[in-house]
Amino acid sequence: MSILRIENLVCGYDPKNPIIKNISFLIEEGQFVGIVGPNGSGKTTLLRAVVGLLKIQHGNIVISQHRIEHLERRELARRVAFVPQLMEPVEGFSVEELVTLGRTPYLERFSFETADDLEAVKWAIEELKIEGLADRPVTELSGGEFQRVAIARALAQEPKLLLLDEPISHLDLRYQVKICKLLRKLRSHRSILATFHDLNIASRFCSRLILLKNGELIAEGSPSEVVTPENIWKAYRIKVAVKNNPHTHKAKYVLLP
Amino acid sequence: MTRKRNKKETGIAVGILSIFLLAVIILSLFLGSVFISPAELLKSEILWQIRLPRVFLAALVGLLLSTSGVILQGVLRNPLADPYILGISAGGAVGAAVAIASGLQFVILGMSSMPVMAFVFAMVAVFMVYKLSQAAGKTNPETLILAGVALSSFCAAILSLIIILTGNLQSIYFWLLGSLSSASWSNVLTVIPYAVIGAGVAYFFSKELNALLLGEEMASTLGVDVENARLILIGTASLMTAAAVSVSGLIGFVGLIVPHWIRLIIGPNHRLLIPISALSGMLLMVIADTIARTVLSPMEIPIGIIMALVGAPFFLYLLRRRRIEGK
Repeated sequence: MSILRIENLVCGYDPKNPIIKNISFLIEEGQFVGIVGPNGSGKTTLLRAVVGLLKIQHGNIVISQHRIEHLERRELARRVAFVPQLMEPVEGFSVEELVTLGRTPYLERFSFETADDLEAVKWAIEELKIEGLADRPVTELSGGEFQRVAIARALAQEPKLLLLDEPISHLDLRYQVKICKLLRKLRSHRSILATFHDLNIASRFCSRLILLKNGELIAEGSPSEVVTPENIWKAYRIKVAVKNNPHTHKAKYVLLP
Repeated sequence: MTRKRNKKETGIAVGILSIFLLAVIILSLFLGSVFISPAELLKSEILWQIRLPRVFLAALVGLLLSTSGVILQGVLRNPLADPYILGISAGGAVGAAVAIASGLQFVILGMSSMPVMAFVFAMVAVFMVYKLSQAAGKTNPETLILAGVALSSFCAAILSLIIILTGNLQSIYFWLLGSLSSASWSNVLTVIPYAVIGAGVAYFFSKELNALLLGEEMASTLGVDVENARLILIGTASLMTAAAVSVSGLIGFVGLIVPHWIRLIIGPNHRLLIPISALSGMLLMVIADTIARTVLSPMEIPIGIIMALVGAPFFLYLLRRRRIEGK
């Protein structure tokens, strides 16, 4: 069953000048899908549309059989969680308190967090392996530590679909790999849609890739189907050779002189 | 540093503060321009008709202003927001002055013309300041403060104009200084509903206020109807401010100092911040009012002056601290 179905989507900030121009694709349960493409190709806009922050101009976004404009905001928040590229750490909050904010769509107006909520927070913290940080103030964390906290916060929403906007682009190599490995592990019982700049990392960890350019989908499929010299030329105007990484058997590009 | 907080700790903090507040209230009842022995005091009119309503009113105004401050700081995502600094108090005072000067008399939903006019003008003020400080869908903290300062000056000018035109110096000047000297049981009864309902709304929207700590867009992805919540919360804060202004005039900085200070100690979780700020605001106002009516006895210093003397330096300290932190 598809978790996310996007049909002929057109949207953006200015109705006369849409950023996403007629995109369609499907995401199945358990997939870790990477969106790649040059700056300004509409990667972030696409994620913002799926999480309900943008008005759909044309087409449909369907999350596990429900069109998102028919879902209440709280209902949508229980199905889709979003990790923005830069989340500001809240001054004075501990890691645990920040992750607990992820339970907002489940809280009733007249009650405190229930045992279920605390359970979900504990689970999200364990999944991201940040138990040791739980009581630390969020403002004292390193970039890589905070990114894991931000993902745990989204995971505490228990979403069917986890959206991440460039989750690794401001991290060092060690954390890039660490975060990607964690994400790959998280996809069971849910799906992940994330934007990436680094094609090789995306190819290495994602189960499928979507290549965008100027708001249109120009290639879609397994990493080896998408990462080809022709597609990279089409999207970036850069000449590359694509090799098979002998250790992972994943497609990998190298720049040509 | 462990900052784990839960229901139990909230309960303990609220309990301790309540006991402390009760002690301060009882103590302040014995203090006044005339010393009366406890046995006589219990039988005297001074206790039941003067001191008791005054202490209650001080506590209620403290709750109204500090809760209003918590709400505004949360919704506007600006730790320097406060009903006084944003010009809401001044707007409310103009409304009250217009009601007095024009001799307008009406009753809507059990509220007399003065609080109604104070509320309407306070709402107009808050939305003007909010709209003025918005650029490209974002509120800029510095612009917000500047817009509030400009609006406050504008309102002060209108108040002065009303005073000159009507010659009604005595009763309107009262709003500019801020004082609890006109406290009476009917005043107390007027503001009780605003205090109870306002604090209730604030507390039951603590989930939304907490989500807003992450920004309006993130709050929206957490299922919060941001537009709606913002309208209800700003409306509540304005109503609470207007109620406080209509009985005590312009008392500044309570709504700024109390929530800010409490946030530094216990963190920004509104589940705790709202009840503890409310109690601390009550405590602060009861103490300040006791000082106001005893320190230069038999003369009385308007409490607004005391709060400004303490609050303005504190505000500058906060501004400076933010600059140093590079915020």
